[in-house]
Amino acid sequence: MLQFLAQATPPETNFWQQAPGTTGLILGVVGAFIIGMLLFFGLSTIPTQFRRYIIVGFTFLAGLVFVLQYLWPRPINADFEKELPRNAVEGFGAWLGVAIDPVAKTANILAAFLLGLGIFSLMRVHINKIRRRAQDWGFSLILIVSSVIMAIFGFWDWNMRQFNDPEALLTSQENWKFANYVNDALFDGMYQQMDAAMFSMIAFFILSAAYRAFRIRSVEATVMMASALILMLNLMGALTFMWSGWINGLVESTGNQFLTNFDLTVVAGWLRANMQIPAIRAIEFGVGLGALAMGLRLWLGLEKGGVSS
Amino acid sequence: MTIWEKLQAVDRRILYLILAVCVSAGLFITIEIPTDPDPSSRDLYQAIMDIPEGKTVIIQSDWTNSTRGESMGHFENLLRLLMSRNLKFVFYSAADPIAPQVARTTLARIIKERKDEGLYEYQIGEDYIDLGYFANAEATNLNMGIDLRNAWSGKRTKKAGAGEISIWESPVLKDVRKIEDAGMMIVVTASASIDVAVQRLNKKVSIGAMVTGVVGPTVLPFYQAKQVNGVAVGLKGVYDLEYCMANGVNLKDEDGNIKVLNKGGKEYPKITEGKTLARGSKYYGTLHIALILLILAVVLGNVGMAMSRKKPGAKRS
Amino acid sequence: MSYLAIKLTLAVFATFGLYSVLYRETRFYRFFEHIYLGLAAGYTLVATWKDTLYTEWWIKMLGKTDVSADGVATVASNGFWIYSILAPIGLMGYMVFSKKHNWMSKIPIGIILGIWSGQQLEVWWNTYGPQIYSSALPVIPTTWSFVPAQPVAGELYASQALTNAIFIFTLISAFSYFLFSFELKGKFLTGLNTMGRWMLMIGFGAIFGSTVMARFALVIDRMSYIWNEWLQGAILGGS
Repeated sequence: MLQFLAQATPPETNFWQQAPGTTGLILGVVGAFIIGMLLFFGLSTIPTQFRRYIIVGFTFLAGLVFVLQYLWPRPINADFEKELPRNAVEGFGAWLGVAIDPVAKTANILAAFLLGLGIFSLMRVHINKIRRRAQDWGFSLILIVSSVIMAIFGFWDWNMRQFNDPEALLTSQENWKFANYVNDALFDGMYQQMDAAMFSMIAFFILSAAYRAFRIRSVEATVMMASALILMLNLMGALTFMWSGWINGLVESTGNQFLTNFDLTVVAGWLRANMQIPAIRAIEFGVGLGALAMGLRLWLGLEKGGVSS
Repeated sequence: MTIWEKLQAVDRRILYLILAVCVSAGLFITIEIPTDPDPSSRDLYQAIMDIPEGKTVIIQSDWTNSTRGESMGHFENLLRLLMSRNLKFVFYSAADPIAPQVARTTLARIIKERKDEGLYEYQIGEDYIDLGYFANAEATNLNMGIDLRNAWSGKRTKKAGAGEISIWESPVLKDVRKIEDAGMMIVVTASASIDVAVQRLNKKVSIGAMVTGVVGPTVLPFYQAKQVNGVAVGLKGVYDLEYCMANGVNLKDEDGNIKVLNKGGKEYPKITEGKTLARGSKYYGTLHIALILLILAVVLGNVGMAMSRKKPGAKRS
Repeated sequence: MSYLAIKLTLAVFATFGLYSVLYRETRFYRFFEHIYLGLAAGYTLVATWKDTLYTEWWIKMLGKTDVSADGVATVASNGFWIYSILAPIGLMGYMVFSKKHNWMSKIPIGIILGIWSGQQLEVWWNTYGPQIYSSALPVIPTTWSFVPAQPVAGELYASQALTNAIFIFTLISAFSYFLFSFELKGKFLTGLNTMGRWMLMIGFGAIFGSTVMARFALVIDRMSYIWNEWLQGAILGGS
């Protein structure tokens, strides 16, 4: 049973891990799918009062592997790649180490299935708009057409690189075909650059907001602005260089070394190390405690209004 | 209507235009600006320079074009620095499926840049390995800490003259059995993937970070607690590293001046092959203009508000 | 016109299309906005398959055989057949559209949340354990002088002790702001709370300043893309 989730390095195989293309593997895949579908239909008949326990059970079991992996005793400097576990406790600990990867990846695989749900919903909304000829339905058409074209050329390009390019010739643009060019133009030429443009636009809004809304009306606003101002001034090397020159000149003319403490980089460095970092750390502590509490409540099914409600 | 009230009512589009014009103009003026690198950036440079020869570096490249303005400069600096030290490296992404392609494009450009300069051309499988994308940052980093060979099991790389080989047969990883064998792990990111790396690989490997300005403040507490050994934050971090590469640390120039000082620290050489002052140097002057513009905007906004209030009969807001 | 020039021109045109919203939200902007959303949706579909479902599920489930140039087949990875059960579990998410069985859509979400929440113990300790340790700084000086030019190792100077005390006070007062969510009575608690708020503002100021740098870096890069890479590089054939 401990072979379950464990890696079997080819050509070694076990009950859970079969060589590709073998009857055993195909039977396993089909069988597991049928069991999954039976589970699907079985669950759909569960009475209302038991549903919460089903969801809490799945959530708890999924999290348990990680909690055990962290808390399970493990000999110091154990290297189970080279050494065999000496007893059942060590054996279970070694198994937890290799089981983590396939269990954790389950989250991504399920999330990927659910991502399709988001795209399906988006398409449904826009297709309905087109069918009803709602206002600005033309834009919905543009959205659908551009997503379909991107998907077609994206898959086409992937298919060519994945299955028809053993020599990796397509890494060089000289060997590109029509689909590779179109995919590159859509992805790198448009999508990626539009992404960068979207993010960069925030700078314009920040400038406008700073001009209109960043007002010194309270002690809090003044403290925040002073902190931000010192940090921003310190970001300007030309300014800190001139300031340092001025301070060094003062130190030389007066002989007072204490004045070096007024060097902008020194002031900014002190502020960052002794006030900004602990303040941010406090914020992170607060967020971290909240995340820990939320994590435990979700795992144990105590969260009201969560998935288990 | 007074001048202050007019200023208060200025159209936002005028502000946008001023920013666009100032930033564009700044790009055509390139001068080397002296700076005092942040201790966190300087420590990153020193940590990379301290990596023993022959050790392999792990790069987690988690940035995409959306933060190109900062992260591309970080990644370029890192590649130039590692290549100038002849260090082998592995790169992958654990945060965004687009990230490996963006990293590949940048890497290809830096290899070509060095080739054009007559420098050694890094070879896949021989000097570096591209591991692609790992779908789950948490699981990937956790597994890398528990069992690196399991975490990267089944991965293969192309190698000139040998076709496709297992990554563990390649000179890049043949001496690496566990994460502790790596010279350093450097995370280039625009997201909290640096947090995940620190959380899962705590103290198992020396971690360095190259992050965006948005992520930077949350990484500095890690730096203070020595959970990461150096952090380059945002565009300033890009320029800081370039400045260290161009001038070394505690290194005297021809005039006997030390441009990058680390009191009590040892001397680190400057980089003598390939580009040092590059993208960061090009953008840093323009950043000055943009920041001055923002500070002016805040000052003018507040002065305008104060002066408008002073006007007899003006409505207090 | 080279392919690169066409691609960059397309990119710059699209960038201007999105930037046009800075002037006003027009149909021109909405046209590009919908192209952007469509491309994002289309690419998400491709990326979800090729980078997650294909590599992490399909290949893991069915295994992989590599065929060398001389036609020799070797098993690169075995098939982990139990992974096929994830398809019906993922399918449960789509029951959200069913009035009768929409509760089933919470099962895959519960598994994802369980996997996340099970890691929080380790995450919390690995993140904050070393930070708590590094925050425990000494505050009682061993000498009452300021830090001299050549400090003596092992001595804690008065100025350093004061700095450490400020560090700890900032941390505690700002953190207390999160903990004291009940009504505060007494001068000490209200004072600590007020100071905590100010300290938080110092932290937010630092975050604001750093974020400003980040956003400006992005707009600088965009302008560089337009003027240097597109106009100078691709159109005028410069650098």
